[in-house]
Amino acid sequence: MNFVLLFLITIFSLSLFFYGRSKTKSISIEKNIRLNALPKFYGYYLVLWCSIPALVFLLVWSLFEPVIIKSIIIETAANQGAIFSDKNEANLIYEKIKAIHLGTYFGDIDSILRESALAYAKFINLFTNSKVVLIFGIIIASVIYSLKKIKNNNKARDDVEVILKGLLFVSSLIAILTTLGIIFSLLFESIKFFSVINIFDYLFGTNWSPQRAFVRDASSITAAEFEELKDAFGFIPLIAGTSFIAFIAMLVAVPIGLFSGIYMAEYASIKVRRISKPIIEILAGIPTVVYGFFAALTVGPFFRQVGENLGLTVSSESALAAGLIMGIMIIPYVSSLSDDVINSVPQSLRDGSYAVGATKSETIKQVVIPSALPGIIGSVLLAVSRAIGETMIVVMAAGLAANLTINPLESTTTITTQIVMILVGDQEFDSPKTQSAFALGLTLFIATLILNYIAQRAVKKYREKYD
Amino acid sequence: MSNIKIKSKNLNVYYGDKQALFDVNLDLNEKEVTALIGPSGCGKSTFIRCINRMNDVIDICKVTGNIEMDGMNINDKDLDVVSLRERVGMVFQKPNPFPKSIYDNISYGPKIHGKGETKSELDQIVENSLKKSALWEEVKDRLDEPGTSLSGGQQQRLCIARAISVNPEVILMDEPCSALDPIATAKIEELIDELKKTYTIVIVTHSMAQAVRVSQKTGFFHLGKLIEVGKTEKIFKNPDNKMTQDYITGRFG
Repeated sequence: MNFVLLFLITIFSLSLFFYGRSKTKSISIEKNIRLNALPKFYGYYLVLWCSIPALVFLLVWSLFEPVIIKSIIIETAANQGAIFSDKNEANLIYEKIKAIHLGTYFGDIDSILRESALAYAKFINLFTNSKVVLIFGIIIASVIYSLKKIKNNNKARDDVEVILKGLLFVSSLIAILTTLGIIFSLLFESIKFFSVINIFDYLFGTNWSPQRAFVRDASSITAAEFEELKDAFGFIPLIAGTSFIAFIAMLVAVPIGLFSGIYMAEYASIKVRRISKPIIEILAGIPTVVYGFFAALTVGPFFRQVGENLGLTVSSESALAAGLIMGIMIIPYVSSLSDDVINSVPQSLRDGSYAVGATKSETIKQVVIPSALPGIIGSVLLAVSRAIGETMIVVMAAGLAANLTINPLESTTTITTQIVMILVGDQEFDSPKTQSAFALGLTLFIATLILNYIAQRAVKKYREKYD
Repeated sequence: MSNIKIKSKNLNVYYGDKQALFDVNLDLNEKEVTALIGPSGCGKSTFIRCINRMNDVIDICKVTGNIEMDGMNINDKDLDVVSLRERVGMVFQKPNPFPKSIYDNISYGPKIHGKGETKSELDQIVENSLKKSALWEEVKDRLDEPGTSLSGGQQQRLCIARAISVNPEVILMDEPCSALDPIATAKIEELIDELKKTYTIVIVTHSMAQAVRVSQKTGFFHLGKLIEVGKTEKIFKNPDNKMTQDYITGRFG
């Protein structure tokens, strides 16, 4: 039904566009007056007036219709003599009624259910009919209103501008509100988690084994279970693993990225630059899952083989393999950002250095890099926050056990991996295990937020210096 | 008549397909100020950048012909550019101090050339250079502050001190006062007068008055050609060439 309505609204508004355009044209010729806007603006005006009120109404109606019908049906069922003690049971009955109506219910149907299902069908019909009637009413009203405006040669251009501005505003509002919504959902779920697990036990615990939280419901945890859980959610091994892998990644990405950035900015000829810069940037476009299986299937086993030959025990899911591949993934971030900041060091500084007889490498080392340093630091910090938030590579290549280790040949785990592990498969939403994912997410969010903030400050400070 | 320090013979410069200098023959006298004047894009800057081979930085630039300093061919492919630039310093249009301390700005050159082995020697070089560029009194108590914190005129004198620090024989100045106010300009001109006792100076300028005030010899460039060269007094009072006459009286350019 909704699709039919949408289709009708679209067709109707489009035809109004042509109507409005030609109508105003003929008005201007008939009465020999100058229009206040181009004819097409009157067309837009009609389209917007015809479609927006109807669409908004349709949206609001679709949001509230199920809720209202549900409450009515549950009440009807109760009047019929249905017995339910709490909300869950009421919901169950409602779902049964709906299923009967759709013909997909295969249990026993008693008289209460049958009566309610009939009532449900009646209400659905009623609501649908009134929806259609109201929508057409609204369309007719708004079209009459806008046609009247058009006949009076209104300032359609300004009105269209106002409406478009409103549309753009609503779009950005939606973007901001969804972000806020995500943050608050993280926050509230984390608060629930911290009401069970002490925040200090979480932040400073050195043992991470969330699978111990078998308890079904956070509210039904006994004192004994609470003691048991006390040291199951220690954050330290995760942050240690995350930082460790990110550190290995930076060991790879910073030198290679920075040096290739310097080469691109200072040495490469325009031709080389034009070819090789996109190639480096392609690295950033490879899906991380591809890096992930490369790390897990090629690099990890290779390291283990090499380690065995050298007489070392290397886990096939080693921090080294994950960090190395992550570093390769991050190279383009470092190189293209540092290339940009090095490029924006004014040529006059280089000239000044050459003029006292410095060579190119002396100039780069002593003048260009120090000048670009804040920007380079900014690019490195952005890369770090990318490394910390990276998920796929570590899920596939870094291992799952929360080892507190600084041996790069052992397996270790990261925050993102654990979030994935916790939320993959079936889970009870009330268990502290599930909620811990939100706490981890929040911590990760705050960490990357701080890093990004510092990085952007550094880059900005650098920009101001030369602009 | 003083000695000729730098001698250019049939000097041609090309930027890609475009020729920027045509057969320039110009002699620069030792311990004298030579001013180069002419409208924008006439090749003055290109000419002085040949003297310290700064054109090497530009990939598409090609220099032919002969340019000599004390009989040494500057344009020689095998010439050590680093030691040439040690002998020929340069000051640019816009003050371009490094984002380092005042001290480091000046000690940068000597350190690169391995001069001033000890801290006290280096201190001495910094002090002498700043004194020669008449900046010492203003900055002696804040040598640790960044060079960029100075005013425009002070920054330009800092750049002159930086050029002096490696003890060159020639100083090239590419419109050194174009970014400065009249008071700072006066100070720099005073300084140039003082410096010419020790150094051979070439200055590119758009200000006729400045050329008259600071130089002993003036060359007029137009469209890549050296139109006329001679004693400053003669060029400005009684030029041989009509074009020179028109330019200095402001009829074009």
